[in-house]
Amino acid sequence: MSIGLDRRVVRNLDPYLLASTLLLCLFGLVMVYSTTRYGLHPLVFVRSQMLHFVVGAVIAGAILAVDYRSFASGARMLYIANVILLAAVLVAGRSSLGAQRWIPLGPLGQFQPSEFAKLAIVITLARHLTDRPGPYTSVRDLLPFLAHISIPMILIFRQPDLGTALVYGAIFAGMLYAGGARRRDLALLGLAGAAVTPLLWHILKAYQRRRLLSFLDPSLDPLGSGYGIIQSKIAVGSGMLWGKGLFAGTQNVLQFVPEHHTDFIFSVVGEELGFVGCVVLLALFYLWLVRGVRAATVARDRFGALVAVGIVSMVAFHVFVNVGMTVGIMPITGIPLPFISYGGSALMTMVWAAALLLNVGMRRQKILF
Amino acid sequence: MERDVFERRLATLVVLAAVMFVVLVIRLWQVQVVQGDYYLKLSEENRLRVTTVLAPRGALLDRHGRTLVANRPAFTVALLPLELRHPRAEAQVVGKLIGMDPAEILSRLAAGRDRPFEPVRLRRDVPKEIVAAIEEGQLDLPGVLVEVEPVRQYVYRTLGAQVFGYVGEINEDELKRLRAAGYEPGDLIGKEGVEETYDAYIRGRNGQIQAEVDAQGRMVRTLGTVPAVPGNEVVLGLDLAMQQVAEEGLGDRPGVVIAMDPRDGTILAMVSHPAFDPNVFSGGIKAGVWNGLIKDPARPLLDRAIQGAYPPGSVFKVVTASAAVQMGLVKADTGFYSPGYYNLGGWTFHEWKALGHVNFIDAIAQSCDACFYDLSRRAGPNAVAKFARTYGLGERTGVDLPNEGDGVVPDPAWKKRVWKQDWYGGDTLNMGIGQGYVLTTPLQIARMMAAVANGGTLVTPHVVTEIRTLDGRVVARIAPPPGGHIQVTPQTLDVVRTGLAAVVSRGTGTALQMPGFTAAGKTGTAEASHGKPYAWFAAYAPVDAPKLVVVAMVENAGFGAENALPVVKQVFQAWLAEQNGAVPAKPAAAAPPQTQTAGPRPAAAPAPASAPSGGSPSAPAPKPAQIPAAGPEPAVLPGPRETSGQ
Repeated sequence: MSIGLDRRVVRNLDPYLLASTLLLCLFGLVMVYSTTRYGLHPLVFVRSQMLHFVVGAVIAGAILAVDYRSFASGARMLYIANVILLAAVLVAGRSSLGAQRWIPLGPLGQFQPSEFAKLAIVITLARHLTDRPGPYTSVRDLLPFLAHISIPMILIFRQPDLGTALVYGAIFAGMLYAGGARRRDLALLGLAGAAVTPLLWHILKAYQRRRLLSFLDPSLDPLGSGYGIIQSKIAVGSGMLWGKGLFAGTQNVLQFVPEHHTDFIFSVVGEELGFVGCVVLLALFYLWLVRGVRAATVARDRFGALVAVGIVSMVAFHVFVNVGMTVGIMPITGIPLPFISYGGSALMTMVWAAALLLNVGMRRQKILF
Repeated sequence: MERDVFERRLATLVVLAAVMFVVLVIRLWQVQVVQGDYYLKLSEENRLRVTTVLAPRGALLDRHGRTLVANRPAFTVALLPLELRHPRAEAQVVGKLIGMDPAEILSRLAAGRDRPFEPVRLRRDVPKEIVAAIEEGQLDLPGVLVEVEPVRQYVYRTLGAQVFGYVGEINEDELKRLRAAGYEPGDLIGKEGVEETYDAYIRGRNGQIQAEVDAQGRMVRTLGTVPAVPGNEVVLGLDLAMQQVAEEGLGDRPGVVIAMDPRDGTILAMVSHPAFDPNVFSGGIKAGVWNGLIKDPARPLLDRAIQGAYPPGSVFKVVTASAAVQMGLVKADTGFYSPGYYNLGGWTFHEWKALGHVNFIDAIAQSCDACFYDLSRRAGPNAVAKFARTYGLGERTGVDLPNEGDGVVPDPAWKKRVWKQDWYGGDTLNMGIGQGYVLTTPLQIARMMAAVANGGTLVTPHVVTEIRTLDGRVVARIAPPPGGHIQVTPQTLDVVRTGLAAVVSRGTGTALQMPGFTAAGKTGTAEASHGKPYAWFAAYAPVDAPKLVVVAMVENAGFGAENALPVVKQVFQAWLAEQNGAVPAKPAAAAPPQTQTAGPRPAAAPAPASAPSGGSPSAPAPKPAQIPAAGPEPAVLPGPRETSGQ
C-alpha cells in the first residue's frame, strides 16, 4: 500500500473526469444561487453550499492521496459505523417533511447519514464481492450480498426515504451485474423484489403512497403531489429552446415549484437555460459517467473496478430519476440531482465519489483480474 | 471471471446509461420545444393558483340536539401577495378601511412569503359597508380579495362561554406543536373549552381550489377542487334549558353553577360568571377588546368551575364526617353539646349558632362547627387530608376541558414545604370545616357529592358525550372511565348520606324541599380573605337513586342557604320540569340574538341584512334548533362570489 502521490500516479489523473466534476459543481453553485437569491439574505444558501464544497474538496484531496485499496481493508468497520449511524437517525434524527433524515450536529448544522451511506455501501459491497469472487452459479450465491445491502436499505426505508432505498437497489444491481452475477439470477431477485412490493405498500407512509399514485395519474391529485409535477413541467416547458435566461425564471421566484432548490432544481435549469442548457448539463453528466466507466475498465483490481461501477450506477440512477421526475416520467421520490441540488451532505458525498473514481483511475498499472 | 466478460458487461452498462440519457433528451425536447409554447403561456399569461377553502367548524349541540355554537357566513378581507403592485401603499389604504395597522399588515405579508399564491387573511367578519367600499375601489386595489367564509357564531352569546371556549388564528407556539398534525399558518384553532379539547374533531379539513387565473388575477377556469370537509358535530351533555336557568339564577353575581349526572359524570350545566362573549373572537379580536378582557379584574375568561380555587367551607364536612365515622370516633347517635364556641389552647373558635345538645346526624344537618372542630382535632390533620384525597380533592378531576386547577388539600408536611411553618392545632380545626388552607374547585365538590350519591365511585366529569359526522354517523362516544373508588366503607357512607338528607329534611337546607322531591345536600359559608363569605350549596336528588348533583357557589355573597341554595333549587326545578316532559327551553330566552348578523361589533349588526330576507330568522321567537349550522343566506351576501380574485 502506498501513501502519498508519486509523479507517475499523478500523471494518470483523468483530466476529463476532474474537469467535468469541477464544472458540475460550478454549475450547481450557480443554480443554487439562482434559486435562493431573493429575500433578505440572498447568499445564505450559496455560501453554505460553497463551504461544503470546499470542505468536501479538501477531504477529497486526502482521499486521492491514500491508495484506494486501504478503503478495502477498513470496509468492515465502515459497514458497522454506517449501520450504527443509520440507526441513530431513526432514534435521534430530526424530521422534515414527515421523514427523519438528519442528525443535528450542534453548531455544524446537521448531516444526513443516508447520503454518506451510499458511498459506504459501494465500498463495502465491492470488498464483499472481492472476498467472494464467484463464479456465481445460482441465486443462492447472491444471497450474502443481498443480506449485505438489506440491513442499511431497511433502515433507510424506515426513515422513510423511499428514493435513497431505491438508489441502493440500483447500486446493488449495477455492481452485481458487473461483478459477474448471472442475468437470470439478477432478474429473479428483481422479480422477488417486485413480488414483495405490495407488502411494502403497507409500510409506506400515506404521503409516499399519494406520491406514487399521483405519478401514475397526476390528475388524481392535482393539488397535492400532482401539483409539484404540473408546476415543474410548466417551469421546464416554459424555458423552451434557449431558456428565459439565467436568473430570469419566474416560476422559480414565485415559488410555484416546490423544493425548487433541492429536488426540483432541474426544473429551474430547464426554465432559465432551456433545452440547450439541459442538454449541456446532461452531456456533462454523461461525460462524467463514461469517464467513470473508463476508470472501472483500467482499474488494477477487482475491488477498484467494482467501486467505480458502483459509483457510476449510483450517479446514473440519481440523474435519470431526478431529471425524469421534473419532466413527469418518473415518480417523485425525493432524490437530489448530484452536484447540483442544494444540500451539503449530498454534495460532499458526490465530491468524494468523484475523488474515489479518480483514485481508482490513477492507480491503474497492472491489471490482475 | 474473465476479463472480457467484465468489459462486455461494462459496455452494456454504458449503453444502458446512453439509452437513459436519450430518453431524457427526447422527453425534454417534447416538453420544451414541442409543447414549449403551451407551457410558456401557462407560466406567463396564465398562472396556476391554489387557494384554501376553509372548512366550516362542526357545530356544538346540546343533549337534545339544539344548536349552541354554529357558523354564519361573513366577509373576509385578504391580500394576495402575488398581485400586490405597491404593498406599502395598499397596506395603507386597506388598513385604513378595515381599521388595521399598516405595519401589522406588512408583517403578516412577510410571514406568508413562502406561499405567495395563498391569500393572507387580514380580517374576518368585515362589515358590509366596508366590503362595499373595497369593491367600489377595486380597480385601484389589485390583490385585495374579499371572500365569504364561515365565522364562528355562539348563538347564546355569553351562555356557557368558558365551556365552549372560542376560536382564533393559530399562534406560533401552537403551530410548532401541531404542524405535524396538519395545522398550517393562518388556520383557525379552538382556544379554551370544548373548542380547544376537541379541535381535532371540530376543525374539519380545509379544501383547495387550483385555478388558472389571468394576469389580472381573475379566475379563468378551475383545474381541480378538493372540497372542504366540514368538521364533526359535537354533542354536549349540556341541557340548554337547565343551563339557561343556571345562568339566570346566578345572574350577574360572580360564581359557579354545576349540574352533573352522578352516575357517569356527564355535565348538564356549567356556568361561570362573569362570562364573556366568545363572538368577539370570531372575526379576529381587536387588541383593545382583548386587553380589556385580560385586564378585567373580574376575570371573565377564567372558568371558575374548573380553574377557581375556593375554600369549600362546611361542604367539606362530608370529608370530616367520613373520617370521623370510619375511624370509629363517632356514630350516628353520638351526642354532642355545642355552647356556641370551641376552646383550643387558649384560643376560642366561634360557632355560627349555639345549638346545645345534638346527635351526630343533627350536627351535620345543623352544620355544627364545634362538633366538627372536636372531630377533626381527634382525627388529626393527616387523616382528614387522607379522606379529602380519597374524595378526589386536591387533584384534577380529568374533565375534558383544558387548564383544570388542582386545588389544595393541606397537611403538616405540605405546610412545612410550602409555607416553611409548623402545623398548629388551629390549622386542624379550620381544615375540619373546610377553611384555612383547603382550596377546591367547584367541579371537585360536584365530583365529591357524586361519589357520596352513587355509592363511592369517583366519576370523571365530561361535558361532551358524542361526536358525529354531519350525516349522523357516530365518530366517538365520550364516556371516560371513572377515576377510582373512594376508600370509605358503605356503613360510613350511609351515615354521611343520612346526615346530608337531614340537612334538607330538617337542617340548614330545608328551603330546597319541594313536593314529591327528595334531596340531600350541604350548605357552606366559607370566609373569604376580603368581602362577604363564599356561599355554597351542594346537593343531589333523589335521595334513594340519585340522578343529579347540583353545586352552586356565589362569591362574596353571604350564607350558603340564602344565596347559593335558591340557584340550586331553580336548576332542580328545571330538571324536574324536563323529567315531567315539559317543553324544553323557555321561548323568550331561547330566541337567539339577531341570528345572522349577531356580530361582535355594534356597527356590524345593521338590521337591513336580515330584515328583507323574508321568512327566516327575523320572525319572532324561532326555535333555536332552526339556526342553520352553516346556512348561508343569499340575501345577506351581495355578489355571487365565493373564492374570487378581482
